[in-house]
Amino acid sequence: MFKLDLFKLITTSVALVLSSTLLYGGSDTNALPGKYISKMGAVDGGVIYPRKDGTYTAYRYNEQSTKGVNFGRVPTANELKAWDVDIMPDGTGLPDGEGSVSEGDELYEKQCSSCHGEFGAGGKGYPTLTGGNQEKLPNGVIKTLTNQRIEPGMEAPKRTIGTYWPKATTLIWYIRDAMPYAHPKSLTNNDIYAITAYLLKQDNILIDGQEMDDDSVLNREKLMKIKMPNENGFYPNIDGPNGVENVRKFFSDRAKNIGAGTRCMKDCKDLSSKGNEPTVMKIDNEITDVVPPYSMARDLPPEVENKLESKAEKMYNDSCKLCHGSDKMGAPVVGDVEAWNKVTQKGFDNVVHNAIDGVGGMPPKGGYENFTNSEVQMIVEFMIDSSKKKH
Amino acid sequence: MDKTFKTEELNSLSRREFFKKTASVSAVAAAAIMSPSSLFADDENIIHHTQWGTTLGNELNEHPYGLPSKYEHNVVRRTSSLMSSAGDMHAAVSMTPLHELKGIITPNGLHFTRTHNGIAQIDPNKYRLMIHGLVDKPIVLTLEQLKRYPSESRIHFLECPSNGAGEWKGPQFNSLQFLKGMMSASEWTGVRLKTILDELGLKPTAKWMLAEGSDGSEMGRSVPVEKVLDDAMIVWGQNGEALRPEQGYPVRLMLPGWEANLCVKWLKRLEFSDKPWYAKEETSKYTALTASGRAIQHFYALEVNSIITSPCPERPWTDLTGGELVEIEGLAWSGHGTITNVDISLDGGKNWVEANLKGLVLPKSWTRFSYMHKFTGKPLLLQSRAVDDSKNVQPTVNQEKEVMGVEGVYHRNSICTWEVTKKGEVNNVQVRSI
Repeated sequence: MFKLDLFKLITTSVALVLSSTLLYGGSDTNALPGKYISKMGAVDGGVIYPRKDGTYTAYRYNEQSTKGVNFGRVPTANELKAWDVDIMPDGTGLPDGEGSVSEGDELYEKQCSSCHGEFGAGGKGYPTLTGGNQEKLPNGVIKTLTNQRIEPGMEAPKRTIGTYWPKATTLIWYIRDAMPYAHPKSLTNNDIYAITAYLLKQDNILIDGQEMDDDSVLNREKLMKIKMPNENGFYPNIDGPNGVENVRKFFSDRAKNIGAGTRCMKDCKDLSSKGNEPTVMKIDNEITDVVPPYSMARDLPPEVENKLESKAEKMYNDSCKLCHGSDKMGAPVVGDVEAWNKVTQKGFDNVVHNAIDGVGGMPPKGGYENFTNSEVQMIVEFMIDSSKKKH
Repeated sequence: MDKTFKTEELNSLSRREFFKKTASVSAVAAAAIMSPSSLFADDENIIHHTQWGTTLGNELNEHPYGLPSKYEHNVVRRTSSLMSSAGDMHAAVSMTPLHELKGIITPNGLHFTRTHNGIAQIDPNKYRLMIHGLVDKPIVLTLEQLKRYPSESRIHFLECPSNGAGEWKGPQFNSLQFLKGMMSASEWTGVRLKTILDELGLKPTAKWMLAEGSDGSEMGRSVPVEKVLDDAMIVWGQNGEALRPEQGYPVRLMLPGWEANLCVKWLKRLEFSDKPWYAKEETSKYTALTASGRAIQHFYALEVNSIITSPCPERPWTDLTGGELVEIEGLAWSGHGTITNVDISLDGGKNWVEANLKGLVLPKSWTRFSYMHKFTGKPLLLQSRAVDDSKNVQPTVNQEKEVMGVEGVYHRNSICTWEVTKKGEVNNVQVRSI
């Protein structure tokens, strides 16, 4: 039944689009086989190539009917429930649960600050989450986002949750599925609301016009009352029944909206031309930090020691190196003799003990609760061994 | 016999020493071919038997999965800790050595790689793909079931929209690999998504599709249904073999011409809806902030683009002595369609001549161009400018900057400039007003 409706729908929409085809410089046919017919002029401003007479551009393609090809099965209700957990701006998919700013503060310290810095302020090489002045210009645009570093020393636009993210639902979705970075999907729904509450509080986000304090609790209902400061900072408008059409319209005027060149062939002027010569900008400080170093040589590779990675080394690499491999994380860096001398002064047993129970910013077993105590001991031994002075 | 060879080898070794002192190999190569032959010393590689011609080679089953010659060990992807979070190679990018590639296909081991949570290692026996939402019949597939669908193979490039992102404010890397290496091209094999949807029955209200990965970052992106029904594929094959784990083994989405980030790897789920999703990688990241202070969201196709791959900083003309006829060669591509023309400028964009396209010219694919040039030692500002069949012309740095500003990060496609010095050295520079 819906097939008939769809056909009607397509016929009318094709008629509507035909008149505007020339704008897109698209193909002269819309003869895609099968039930669904794409409109002429691709949504991205490009060409839609026809599948016609057994060819698709330079490709021959299979013209046999695929009607009735039917592999796989219908998912069960539980399978859908397990996987259909995305969260949309209208609140679809938001989990049950709640958490307070102060609970979030504690969780953030343990689970997030080692990468994202105190209060989400960054500085550890991983994304900065909070901070940034949300002051707006009269036209509603957040001022910091208009910063353009056209000369050295100029201030960067600050893209944080408060100044940039358009939707609060994205935070819940992303934190639940992808964080904490080294062991994603390990937080409870309450944890997720609490951490989100904490981050939003850092950026002074209002719930229903009210400021948050340490006791403020976030849940589904409250999250839906949040309007992010930069919600209107994005274009084209993709929402509503005209969302896709807005995108198409935007990309149909590429010169205006994303920039385009002109095909001048002789005596072309560039904005940079001074007199007859173009202005050339050279590399100021060449970035040479590349691994492996550049080489065009066609020689034999250096002999590599046939060293087998020990179990402890592998566990260290997979789980501990994230914090102990970089001096940005505040943890003693493996290989730093002095730092480890200080650690081992406490005595080996105490070091192992601390690693198992957690110490300073390090959670118990570094957050890897599945490690046995003897595995932790093995890793500690490896880390100490790798941080001894080499003779 | 054995003995004879040993003497020859010794002989040739001592001759090698001699050669080092008198005539370097490059000097032999550089000498003009028209000079009288009496000027040349004999090349020991011709005069004597080679080591490999006088011994038994390796057994053919030494590497059941073949490897490149060990002399090619420098042809590798490269990383920079600056293009990662704190040097952490789980959330970083590795660059394809474009200066070492020929043709329009990237070997699988050299395909650039961008991950947000490391390279997921998926057991294909436990792999499942779910397609649901606004369809008459939702479906869940094993890998074997998915591969039962009739397949297509197409050659397409994949480019990270951050390719060249470091260069918005000026040139940074003196290297083709780091200027443009966040792209690669392959023959992809899979099923056209429309073939599956024809059977599932897409509801007329479906306007958007969520593609979601199954790695630790659960990468999600919203895609308009129109693209899905045009040329989108679910792919499992890359240059004739299974996808590499770095490229999403066992299955990834392929949206020809569009941001590689949209071509979700380790694909787990496709859901159809009447609304877009606002996933993290289409809000916080992969949105292009312009000078207005507002950002372009849903920026799909990689725009018309080109780069000269020879010469380049890694492959300069320093071996030329002047007067040689030499090929200027490069790559052009457009996510909007097919390359129709490439122009070359030797003077920083003032005057242009048309280059030749060569080889296969396919939509949303790398296209090779060539221009024969007599290098006299006169310094050059080499540029290439591509045009596609949507009439897009690659912009100059200034033309792009005027619309996009310099903080957008993504979708940089302006004309690149190689400065060729009189010695034939090649440097990455930009023609731009500050």
